[in-house]
Amino acid sequence: MADLHGLIYAFHSSPALGDLVMPRTSASLPFCSRYRLIDFALSSMANAGVRGVGVIMQRDYQSLLDHMGSGKDWDLSRLSGGLRLLPPFGMHGSSLGEYKGGMEALSAVRAYINDIKQNYVVIFRGDLAANIDLKDVFDAHLSSGCQITAVCAENACKGGGDIRFIPDTQGNSKKMLFSNFNENGALSTTEVYVINKSLLVNLVDWCHSNGKLHFHRDALTHYLNEGGTVGLYVHKGYTARICSVSDYYSANMDMLKAEYRNDLFNDDNPIYTKGRSSVSTYYGEDAFSRNSLVADGCYIEGELTNCVLFRGVRVKKGAKLKDCVIMQDSVVGENVSLSHVIADKYTVFSDGLALSGSHVLPIIVPKCKII
Amino acid sequence: MKKECIAMLLAGGQGSRLYSLTSRAAKPIMPFGGKYRIIDFPLSNCANSGINVVGVLTQYQPLQLNSYIGSGQPWDMDISRGGVYILPPYQSAGSKGEWFSGTANAIYQNIAFADLWEPEYVLILSGDHIYKMDYADMLEQHKEHGADCTIAVIQVPLEEASRFGIMSTDEKGFVTKFAEKPKEPESDLASMGIYIFTWQKLKKYLIEDEQNPQSEKDFGKNIIPNMLNSGEKLWAYSFNGYWRDVGTIDSLWESNMDMLAPALIDLYDRSWPIRSRSPIKPPHYIGENAEIRHSIVTEGCDIRGTVSNSVLSSGVSVGEGAVVNYSILMPGCEIGKNAIVEYSIIGENAVIGEGAAVGSPPNGMSDIKITTCGPDSAVNASARVEAGAMIYSDRRGK
Repeated sequence: MADLHGLIYAFHSSPALGDLVMPRTSASLPFCSRYRLIDFALSSMANAGVRGVGVIMQRDYQSLLDHMGSGKDWDLSRLSGGLRLLPPFGMHGSSLGEYKGGMEALSAVRAYINDIKQNYVVIFRGDLAANIDLKDVFDAHLSSGCQITAVCAENACKGGGDIRFIPDTQGNSKKMLFSNFNENGALSTTEVYVINKSLLVNLVDWCHSNGKLHFHRDALTHYLNEGGTVGLYVHKGYTARICSVSDYYSANMDMLKAEYRNDLFNDDNPIYTKGRSSVSTYYGEDAFSRNSLVADGCYIEGELTNCVLFRGVRVKKGAKLKDCVIMQDSVVGENVSLSHVIADKYTVFSDGLALSGSHVLPIIVPKCKII
Repeated sequence: MKKECIAMLLAGGQGSRLYSLTSRAAKPIMPFGGKYRIIDFPLSNCANSGINVVGVLTQYQPLQLNSYIGSGQPWDMDISRGGVYILPPYQSAGSKGEWFSGTANAIYQNIAFADLWEPEYVLILSGDHIYKMDYADMLEQHKEHGADCTIAVIQVPLEEASRFGIMSTDEKGFVTKFAEKPKEPESDLASMGIYIFTWQKLKKYLIEDEQNPQSEKDFGKNIIPNMLNSGEKLWAYSFNGYWRDVGTIDSLWESNMDMLAPALIDLYDRSWPIRSRSPIKPPHYIGENAEIRHSIVTEGCDIRGTVSNSVLSSGVSVGEGAVVNYSILMPGCEIGKNAIVEYSIIGENAVIGEGAAVGSPPNGMSDIKITTCGPDSAVNASARVEAGAMIYSDRRGK
């Protein structure tokens, strides 16, 4: 068991995700046929031996609650520790409306942070698709002697990654860059941090008493100004932050490439998700499938090319799907033709319908829509 | 803790007619229909029928079975008042302990387990049948007819009747005669190996049967005939749905092929879900040059070749240019590039080398010869395995 406690930011619904975050937060976005984005944070923690995880949520968290349940699927239903859900407490003096920044969210759960028994905390964004070896990060944090370690992406983090650190000769950093500044050798942060609990409590209190809300702009800047050093850890695997429709679409399409897929999903550090007991997928006599990812429980009689299908999708005879993401339990009727479409859960495409988006502008069909 | 009805699931048999396929693990744990293991069917039927105490009697190669069942959580059976219990043979006070010597003896040795639940009725199931059945409905009929024993029966073609326990019934439906595998069957009503007994009655016959040194301690051969001869009331519960015994290579292959005809048994029916323990695997991937039709594919598969009329369990890989036709690929097996696998059953984690040819199509439907490669077996690159052959060899040298 690691001396490390997990905190996951799951309060945010990125506006650029449009209709995809109408019924949910970014952290509970369905991804790659059978996952939710938060599975990466939860599984990375579980695989590193983290036994206590707090999930900070604020609104639209019904789908998140439904997905995580007791935390059992990530081995986080434990006698001590385990999964703790942290909705807003409605504390006296707290502001209303959405948390404006990471520090405001942390301030809201100040009492919880204070009670954390572990000496170190890992903070993980719920909208990050990355399988990060947090045990290795934690070891690096301990040996660097820094009070905080940033996990940076080797290649620029897809979808975001505008905050970067400039490494010094020891591989640590005293300088943080925000967008628009370009400097060679700067590493973009995934915004996953391992931080000493004592520093975290200090920063939360400093921000709270100075009316500061943001993690990077306020807390980290303050820490660096005071002479602090940030340890840098370079994560080599696939990393994508899902902040917009285009991030979402391209990350799903990335999963069709074996190198990216194998980076995220491997038997040594599996990504766990909520179990759903369903039958295998059936391909009919006239089915055709190329370069596609398909979960269990689908019934496919039509044609798939470059598609990502979630559990329980039905594709009827004569339907042709190209470059589409079709979420759980949707039904694609006979002779429907779809290209560059993201269909949310339980959508129904009536027989004969044709719908075509483009790579830069995929069409989103909202949850439960019948067309 | 009182339960009206508990189930005892016989899962200790070797499944010797499946030869190499059961060399590693008992038959009930045999992968089936892509996602399932055979035992998922009776366990899910119990869960769906509201029976939440299931004793699973194990004996032959039980390790995989034990870990598969675990806490019973996948079947919603990890509950505080009941659950799934693994019951291996054990040593009781004053005895040396002995193996289960027959189906009836297995239950006899676990009378104490059943008594813990003070049941009115005990449902006896076996771990080698594929079917969906509402045991609650069967229990209803058992009570309604005041039966001492109710036997589920299904109509079979008369020419096949000599493979089964065959029952004759009176006009009401009570059993008048029972013959185990008769040479000249008098009826086409076959026992499905599913029984409900009034527990106190069964207990009496089990104890009596133990006293008879000639007895084979078997339900079909001893207990049922003894009850019938003593004038107990035996009710025949007729079942009309899909039911297959998967005790042989041919029947295992055929019933897997049946899963490709969803009209026979609807596994997509959410009102009667068959549940299983899922491995942690990503979605399956169908490659750029793959072709797939009329097949079942499970999560974790990676398909680069051509797959048709086949059933693929989780984590199977099929290399570029490989052809898989009319075959069953069990979890984790690998089909090398350009290999051809036809009319075959490939066991768990078996490896078929590049360019190898395993099995071949029959000349006519009556001439189908199924080729089998046992779990962990290996077929060398470019090797040829004749139709009907059986590979045991084990690349781990165990």
